[in-house]
Amino acid sequence: MSLEVRTGPPAGAGNGVARLAAGAAPAQVPPMAEDAPVVALRGIEKSFGPIHVLRGVDFDLRPGEVHALMGENGAGKSTMIRLMSGAHRPDHGTVEIDGAPTRLSGPAAAQAAGIAVVHQELLLFPAMTVAENIFLGHAPRRRSGLLDWPRMRERARAILDRLDCPDLDVDEPVSRLSVANRQRVEIARALSRDARVLIMDEPTAALAEADVRRLLDVVRSLRAEGVGIVYVSHRMDEIFEISDRITVLRDGRTIATRPTGAVTEAGLVSMMVGRDIDRLFPREAGPVGETVLEVRGLGAGKVRDVSFRVRAGEILGIAGLVGSGRTELAQTIFGVTPATSGEILIGGAAVTVGSVRAAIGHRIAYVPEDRAQHGLVRPQTIRENISMAILDRLAPRVMVERGRETRLAEEAIARFAIRARGPGQVVAQLSGGNQQKVVLAKWLATDPRILILDEPTRGVDVGAKTEIYRLMNQLTAEGLAVIMISSELPEVLGMSDRVLVMNGGRVAGILDRAEATPEAVGAAMMTGHAA
Amino acid sequence: MTTSALAPRRLLPRRLPGASQELVLLAAILLIVAVVGWINPRFVSPNNLTTIFSGNAYVAVAAIGMALVIICGHIDVSVGALIGVLATISGILVTKGFPVWMAWLVPVLVGGAWNAGLGAVIAYLKVPSIIATLAVLSILRGGLITATGGAWISGLPPDYQLAQFRLLGLPSPVWFMVIMTAVAAFLLRNTGFGRAIYAVGGNREAAEAEGISCNRTIVGVFAIHGMIAGVAAVLFATQLQVIQSTVPNGLELLVITAAVVGGVSILGGIGTVTGAALAAILFSAIGSSLIFLNVSAYWLRAVQGVLILATVLADMARRGRAG
Amino acid sequence: MSPRSPALPAMPPRAVSLRSLLRHETLLALILLAALALLALANDRFLTTANLLNQGRLMTEVGLIAIAMTFVVITGGIDLSVGSILGLCAVLVGVFWKNLELPLPVAMTLSLGVGTLAGLVNGLIITRFRVPPLIATLATLALYRGLAEGISQAKSVRGYPAWFFELGQGSIVGIPTQLWLLLAAALVGIVVLRSTTFGRATYAIGNNEQGAAFSGLPVARTKLLIYAASGFMAGLAALVFVSRVTTTRSDMGTGIELDVITAVVLGGTSIFGGRGFVTGTLLGLCLIQVLKNGLALSGVRGDGTVVIIGAVLIVAVLISNVLKRWNGE
Repeated sequence: MSLEVRTGPPAGAGNGVARLAAGAAPAQVPPMAEDAPVVALRGIEKSFGPIHVLRGVDFDLRPGEVHALMGENGAGKSTMIRLMSGAHRPDHGTVEIDGAPTRLSGPAAAQAAGIAVVHQELLLFPAMTVAENIFLGHAPRRRSGLLDWPRMRERARAILDRLDCPDLDVDEPVSRLSVANRQRVEIARALSRDARVLIMDEPTAALAEADVRRLLDVVRSLRAEGVGIVYVSHRMDEIFEISDRITVLRDGRTIATRPTGAVTEAGLVSMMVGRDIDRLFPREAGPVGETVLEVRGLGAGKVRDVSFRVRAGEILGIAGLVGSGRTELAQTIFGVTPATSGEILIGGAAVTVGSVRAAIGHRIAYVPEDRAQHGLVRPQTIRENISMAILDRLAPRVMVERGRETRLAEEAIARFAIRARGPGQVVAQLSGGNQQKVVLAKWLATDPRILILDEPTRGVDVGAKTEIYRLMNQLTAEGLAVIMISSELPEVLGMSDRVLVMNGGRVAGILDRAEATPEAVGAAMMTGHAA
Repeated sequence: MTTSALAPRRLLPRRLPGASQELVLLAAILLIVAVVGWINPRFVSPNNLTTIFSGNAYVAVAAIGMALVIICGHIDVSVGALIGVLATISGILVTKGFPVWMAWLVPVLVGGAWNAGLGAVIAYLKVPSIIATLAVLSILRGGLITATGGAWISGLPPDYQLAQFRLLGLPSPVWFMVIMTAVAAFLLRNTGFGRAIYAVGGNREAAEAEGISCNRTIVGVFAIHGMIAGVAAVLFATQLQVIQSTVPNGLELLVITAAVVGGVSILGGIGTVTGAALAAILFSAIGSSLIFLNVSAYWLRAVQGVLILATVLADMARRGRAG
Repeated sequence: MSPRSPALPAMPPRAVSLRSLLRHETLLALILLAALALLALANDRFLTTANLLNQGRLMTEVGLIAIAMTFVVITGGIDLSVGSILGLCAVLVGVFWKNLELPLPVAMTLSLGVGTLAGLVNGLIITRFRVPPLIATLATLALYRGLAEGISQAKSVRGYPAWFFELGQGSIVGIPTQLWLLLAAALVGIVVLRSTTFGRATYAIGNNEQGAAFSGLPVARTKLLIYAASGFMAGLAALVFVSRVTTTRSDMGTGIELDVITAVVLGGTSIFGGRGFVTGTLLGLCLIQVLKNGLALSGVRGDGTVVIIGAVLIVAVLISNVLKRWNGE
């Protein structure tokens, strides 16, 4: 596997260069340097405390190209973005801008260099108008030094028209905009600073299909204007449609940079995971027992009319785009947002799950997607976290029995091979994989019959991932019914006995392991019907 | 979200969320004046109305600064004590024979400098503003009584009595209130610093990413707030023939409440100084009407408490709908 | 485990012992001892049983409220209305007894009930309407004080029966009555916070409220109970206060929230929630009282000590910030 494709001479370069030559090369760039990268990372390393996040990243972005950045969660993409946008500084290696090594002292320096980020979480000011959000921090001024509101609104209008958003009102407060429109405001904000480099972090993750098309059109027109775009996405189809080159990141290293035409989807996946899917997902299906959980016509908020059943010893995978209602479904079954319609049957009997406590009482456990916010109380110890869901049982006579609690934690540390100094260590000091094991230990301590795993391997390194998969095998062999929600299609396909696909809060289809091909699941996710 | 549906709002193109609060307050003031005036005509005599507006103008002035502090995401419970201290400083200066202009100016400068320091402690040393200002409240309150022994300052020269001057028939505090509110509202809207205050209070992380220095903004806001408190202190000191060198009891609460009732969101990032000033006027109208309605003044605080609570709950409901 | 996963940093044993030394309570206890020694040397009227017991008597009201406030602050909240609840309860004892001519024990029980109710209202505003505790209790600070003023019309009530003064002025086994009350409350507070599921929920809420809710802990109920307890303790403090000073006035307890919060924060409870101990609060309380007493004995008047408390509060927060950075948090 070649490690990298360096910027070649003009003859070997992709179509991005041709566009640049035809179009909007900045006047001050000398002709001989016109295909030189506008931003380049050379041999970047970066650690946060004991965690070595980037271990040798090389990357370059030419003007007028869309350079896709791919990699699993935790591969180091976000850290790389933060380096380029000036939020972090590398421990080793250099950031080059227009070929010159540059130290980006902060976000302001990166902005001055023409680098702008469209953040995944959309850093906007909800109470302010569209125009003001676009120009915050660099608003047009009058000669007196006061802000020039008419000109600000005019220029905001012009930028939005350039983005083909005539329907967006510059005086509207951002709090009233849809997600897609907020994203357009973010892009407009980048353009208002004359950005030459636009970093887009999962821009389509929260968008509906029609909005995705519009966004890709915007990306194309920006590329034609000579803007270099770093495009981070998990969606293969988009990557192949829009990008000129692809760089794959794995475990903090760049694995390869290839022209998009020179790679296949399968090749990309194997570069990203570093091994064959079959070896990575060692699903050992065992005997399947009685139906443990059945859901009939369940509805709550976004979730509409969902029906399915899970049997003992089975893993039911739930696939779907972000925003398709997967997590909402899980949280409805777990009593966080109790159902407003439909039925939940456990072991054949209809039950009401009106609270998390009730769910725990029905022996349902939920390992949440957002580990930091919902899964753990990270400033507290392993012992306190593992006992948190069963404190009542550990305190039969008001007082928490400290001895039993410590034994429980020690057993969990041994059973799940949690790398820690002991039960008294604070959870925040553990690595992502070990934190996830603490969450698993906490919920398995409740002795569940039904285990819902929401993105169980997000932000977990490959080794811990395999351990979690092995644990899932072991649990189903012991007769647990497991529901696994995952955004990583290979994981869903590799570990599930059946796959439930969600779309728009509804069940798009339930596929057996044999039927669940990437194409079939992908089609159901996008269209809402199983083929 | 369509343009046509929003077309009528073009009448107020620069409308910010929260501006409607100002209209509500204005309506509430007019309603109270009308209703109480109908019950007791003496309430609407020009003399009484002037008293309502001028007697509590210093609260409205202080509320401007407080509005800035809360918009940028902080709080200051020490402002009442600061006003007490600055008023005393002003009185001591003039009775010790310093020129009148110094007695007017020094409190403003001292207030600015003191609160800049306070802002620095909050911004750079990361002491939560509620703790820092609670501590300062105690330092100022205790320090003032220790230093003066609670004695009243009298023998103030007539040319010192700024609050008793009149221009075009209106007492000067009214002018201060109107002009300072207008200037602050204008600058808040039309300067980069003004917008930075909203940005820091609305989304600190995003403001930092936009290259705004949050710490410097916070220090600046506290300094301005201190200077405005200095003006309020001079108005407070010069409205009577004597200065009680004690901290006006519960003044900080009144000022914070004026800001919050005026539509400044307690969570930061939203609000206007105009609303805060109007709310302060509303309070003095309510206080005055209790007297004219023969309600015991001892119920005033309870009425205010109910009012604050109602406004805060309404604010939370509004936030809930918006976000 | 994957060989690539980062090794945990080994912690040298010396650093551990240094850290435990720098634990807030240890440090506080040392400072308290130093202050005691210093004052004993400086003034021979200080280290006498009579003086120390009298200081204990004086700090009980703040102490009672501070124990409940420790729970409030650990959940990440604050209760600024305690002084007003104290004033309201004090006024109500007088009103129930004198104006409504109820037996004094009934009046006392009723006003304790009102205190609890006032705290419960705080809790409801905070949990049900999601108003930030600072603002919610700032509003009820005005409301409850306003009620106290309105109900009493600034008239004080005197002439309670002699047995009532036992609570605030009497002694049991040579120790002031109210100090026994404080001791009992402190013991309950320590045990509940350290060893019960309720205490665990308190910490978990302060560290990560959503995480606590997702673990099935009763978040709203716990907070509600804590604010109600805060109101109850303010009511209890009111009874002690009235009994000690023999009169009820509507301005009782004005500004006591500052003393209470200072004791709690000085005691090492993080104002951001999640960390803190009742023992720390008690140490903080003692230190403040010793400082006040020492200053008074050296001729500083009452108002001057307020300045010192304010300064001590800021310095305490600064030191705890520095310690946190030192411990790498």
